[in-house]
Amino acid sequence: MSELSTSLGKINLQSPILNASGTFGTEYFNFFQQGILGAYVTKTITLKPKIGNPPPRLYETEAGLLNAIGLQNPGLKSFLNNDLFDLREYLKIPLIVSFSGATQEEFIRMLEGLELHCGIYGYEINISCPNVENEGIAFGTNPDIVFNLVEKLARLTDRELIVKLSPNVTDIALIAQAAEAGGATSISLINTLYGMAINWETGKSRLSIPVCGYSGIGIKPVALALTYQTARAVKIPVIAMGGIHSWQDALEFFYAGASAIAIGTANFSNPLTIPEVYQGLLNFLTQRNLNLKDIIGKVN
Amino acid sequence: MQYKILPVEKIEKIRTNYIQITIKDEDFASQCNPGNFFQIKADITSQCRRLFKPISVYNIEEDSISFLIKVIGGGTRALAALKTGDKLKIYGPLGNAFPLRQDSKILMVSGGTGYPPLAFLKKRLDSSNNILFLHGGASKDDVFPCDCSYTIDGSFGNKGIVTKDIADLLKKESFDCIYSCGPVNMLKTLAQIVAPIPHYVSMEAYMACGVGVCYGCVIPTNEGYLRVCYDGPIFEAEKILWKEL
Repeated sequence: MSELSTSLGKINLQSPILNASGTFGTEYFNFFQQGILGAYVTKTITLKPKIGNPPPRLYETEAGLLNAIGLQNPGLKSFLNNDLFDLREYLKIPLIVSFSGATQEEFIRMLEGLELHCGIYGYEINISCPNVENEGIAFGTNPDIVFNLVEKLARLTDRELIVKLSPNVTDIALIAQAAEAGGATSISLINTLYGMAINWETGKSRLSIPVCGYSGIGIKPVALALTYQTARAVKIPVIAMGGIHSWQDALEFFYAGASAIAIGTANFSNPLTIPEVYQGLLNFLTQRNLNLKDIIGKVN
Repeated sequence: MQYKILPVEKIEKIRTNYIQITIKDEDFASQCNPGNFFQIKADITSQCRRLFKPISVYNIEEDSISFLIKVIGGGTRALAALKTGDKLKIYGPLGNAFPLRQDSKILMVSGGTGYPPLAFLKKRLDSSNNILFLHGGASKDDVFPCDCSYTIDGSFGNKGIVTKDIADLLKKESFDCIYSCGPVNMLKTLAQIVAPIPHYVSMEAYMACGVGVCYGCVIPTNEGYLRVCYDGPIFEAEKILWKEL
C-alpha cells in the first residue's frame, strides 16, 4: 500500500487532503471518517465579530461559484470560548485556525490570543480575502507588507504558520518569497479570484457586492499555474487549492509542486469529494508502486 | 443527516411545470418534520459539478418521501428528466421545523412553490386544531388542494394575490397562529397584515452547502444575518428585517 502521508513545515499529515477554509464543517463527518482529512482548517475568524455582506451572497456560474460572504464570523472571543472547545474535543486530526485582520496590530493580537490555547497545530493567515474592504487582500498584494506582517507573527509562535495567498496579484512568486523570508512555514494558495455576474434582464449585479470571489471548477488552470510558479520560487511546502474536484485534479497539483491540497467548492457539489479523492490517489499510487512524496513537483 | 444515492420510486408530471418525485427510505422518512428540506440533484454526469437544490418535504407515507418541485432551471430540469429507477443524490433532512400547535385556530398561507412544506405541516398538525389554508399562484397551473385558492390571472379560484382578503378576514375571525411560505413579497405583505399574531415563515434562499458551513444563504434578522439552511428555514416573522429583503 502506498503512503499518502506528507509534511508541512512543522507538522506531518497522515493525509495530504485538507479542507479549504469556509467551505467545510464537522457536519461533513456525517458522510465520511475524519481520518481521511489531513487537517481541519476553520472558517476565517477575525478579532471582532463580523456581520458579513448583505444577501444575495451566492451565484452559481457555468463553471464555478461566485460568493460575497464577507468573512461573517462570531469573532475571536466567541471562537475561543465556544468553537475551539468543541473542535478540540471532537477532532482526532490536527486543527488549523484561519484568521484575518484589518491592521497588523489586529493580526498580532489574534495570534497572541490563540497562542494561549492548546490543541491548535497551526495557523492559516488569510491575507487574501477579496470580499472585505481594507482587510485580507489589502495585506496580500504587496511583498513588503507581507514580509513585515509575517516576520512579526513568526516571532510569536512555534506552530505551523501558513500564509494564504491571493491569485489577484501581478507576481505571486514575489509574495510567496516575502512570506517565506518573513518566516512562514508553508504557503497556501489560491484564495478566490475576482469574479462578477450581472443579470442581463435587469442590469443588476447578481450579488450584493458586484466584484466578489470566484471559486470552483473554472479556476483550476489558474490555480495550477500559480501553484507551479510558487512551488518553484520557495523552499517551504505549498498547500494548493482551486477547483479540485477529483483525484486526477489533485494529482496535477502534486506534480506541479504541492505538498498537500485542499478541497473547497467541490464539497458543495459532492460532499464525498474528500474521501473519493483520497481513495483515488491511494489506488493510483499503489498501482504504480509509488508514494505521494515520489511525485511532488515531478512535472516534466 | 445522511448522504445517499437513491432510486426514484415514482415520478409524475403535475400540470405543465411541476413534478412530484417519490423516493423510499426508512431512515429519511422517520427523521422528517414539517419544514425540513433535503439537498437533491439528479445523479447524471451533467449535474456532477453543479450545486444541489434545496427542496422541502411535501409528503411522507410510511417509508416514502415525496417532493413537489417546480421546474425552473437546469437542476430542476435534470430532476424532471429522471424516470422511475433512475438515481438521485440526496442528503438531509436539513434545517429546523415548524413548531406544532395544538388546540389552535391556524391560518396557513402559501404562494407558488411555498405550498409543499405547508401541505406537509397540515398533515402533521393534530385534529385539535382548526385550520384555514389559503394558497395562491400565478395561474391555474400553480394551484393545489387547499381551502381557498387565488390566481393572479383569475384562471382558477379567486382572482388576485393570496394576501388580498386576509386583512378583512382578520377583522371577522381571530387566529392563534399563522404559518406561511412563498415569494418574499408575499411574505413581507403578510407579515405586516397579521402582526402581532405569532407567525412562522419558511424562507427560501440560494444555497451552497445546506448544512450551515458556508454562510451563503443568509437573511437579515434582528440577530444579524442568519442562515436559512441551518438557523431556518423556519423563522418567527417578527425576527426578520423585511425592509432589507
